[in-house]
Amino acid sequence: MRALILALVSLSVVTACATTPPPAPTEIYDPFENFNRKVYGFNESVDQAVIGPVARGYSKTVPKQARSGLRNFVSNANAPVTFVNDVLQAKPQRAMETLSRFIINTTVGVGGLFDVAGKSDLEGHTEDFGQTLAVWGVPMGPYFMAPLLGPSNLRDTTGRVVDIAFDPVTWISFGTNNLEVYLNAGETVFVALDTRAELDSGIEFIREQPEPYTALRRAYSSQRQSAIRDGVVDENSFDDLPDFDDFDDFDEEFDDFE
Amino acid sequence: MTSFRIILASLLMALIPLASASADPRSEAFVQENATKVLEALGNPDLTAAERSEKFNGFMEEFSNLDGIARFVLGKYSRRFNPEELARYREVYRAYSLLNYEAQFDDYRGADINIVNSYDTKRDSIVNSNVRKADGDTLEVSWRVRERNDRFQVIDVGLNLDGNLLWLAVEQRAQFLDLLDRNDGSADALISKLEELTQELKTPS
Repeated sequence: MRALILALVSLSVVTACATTPPPAPTEIYDPFENFNRKVYGFNESVDQAVIGPVARGYSKTVPKQARSGLRNFVSNANAPVTFVNDVLQAKPQRAMETLSRFIINTTVGVGGLFDVAGKSDLEGHTEDFGQTLAVWGVPMGPYFMAPLLGPSNLRDTTGRVVDIAFDPVTWISFGTNNLEVYLNAGETVFVALDTRAELDSGIEFIREQPEPYTALRRAYSSQRQSAIRDGVVDENSFDDLPDFDDFDDFDEEFDDFE
Repeated sequence: MTSFRIILASLLMALIPLASASADPRSEAFVQENATKVLEALGNPDLTAAERSEKFNGFMEEFSNLDGIARFVLGKYSRRFNPEELARYREVYRAYSLLNYEAQFDDYRGADINIVNSYDTKRDSIVNSNVRKADGDTLEVSWRVRERNDRFQVIDVGLNLDGNLLWLAVEQRAQFLDLLDRNDGSADALISKLEELTQELKTPS
């Protein structure tokens, strides 16, 4: 009974902390832009020479079913992280969905290799501590480009460090002859390759833009805002679209010139 | 009496969003009809590549406000370029945009469009639609439509990528402004970049 009361009190505290996520930023705070652009250039060189070709090779040689199974396995192993963040964001329904998926996929889905729950219309989602901080009202902080890892910001990087502490892999293997290091390294390499392969067309699209660095910065930031809103489009943002007529005299200047 | 006033005020407050959510049905009809024409032009197997491009460009000129978009994406620099630079820019921008749209829309050959709903902002209508591709995938597309002198035109297109609504002209404007800021506002820098990208689009990959 005491445990139940404690749990309810904890949940009410968390609910009090949860606030409406901030709207999508029109300006992204990038105080290290010059340095970030250099890191972006470095990442692009490494990606074009090594990571991109390896990811495309992985995509071509590893059968789709095997890739899908591995992706399901990693996703299921990360379910506890999502569950903790669902609770911290005071989203009981999503927390129950995550817990149900984890139980079904770990048992019927052979340790998470098969997404049985997804086939029964119990769709998955992810939450991380970066999103939790945003829901609590923490601003994103300075944007930065990490060598090899790509775009991030102070809030998301802090969140990533906290998520490592939530990750069961960290606890299962803690103090077991570097097992944690090997498991994490394996997971990191797989996730990096798989994610890179999945994003291939998106990365090409960004490279074709007039200002790829700006395009990536905005795509990353707005994608994170969307994740914070759980993928729901904020229709109020329609009213915040920049005015189309700010520089309306442009046409008149053309007319005068032509 | 006070309670009655509160109830009346609450009802009025509740009606305000309803009023703004019901958009002009003409904007929905405009998008349905014209987007269908564009998609049909792309999917018509009887046309040669050149004929398809010509037809597509004709529809796009009518369907969208290309000159307005050219101005919008230039932001504050539309007042800083001189008339000669503006004229060169507009020509290059038009060529780049039409090729770019055609390349992007090419993935939607054989697709059809269904209007979902619409929403009025202060000056424009946002028409939300589902574009279903030939392979069955569906993309949620929002059209920002402006009426001017009894004529409707699209001024921006928003793509819903997993809840991340990207407005193409807004994104392009952010990039153009960054490029110009980093090049001391040089019109030549932007024009050269657009010419380079246009050339890449013309080169078969």
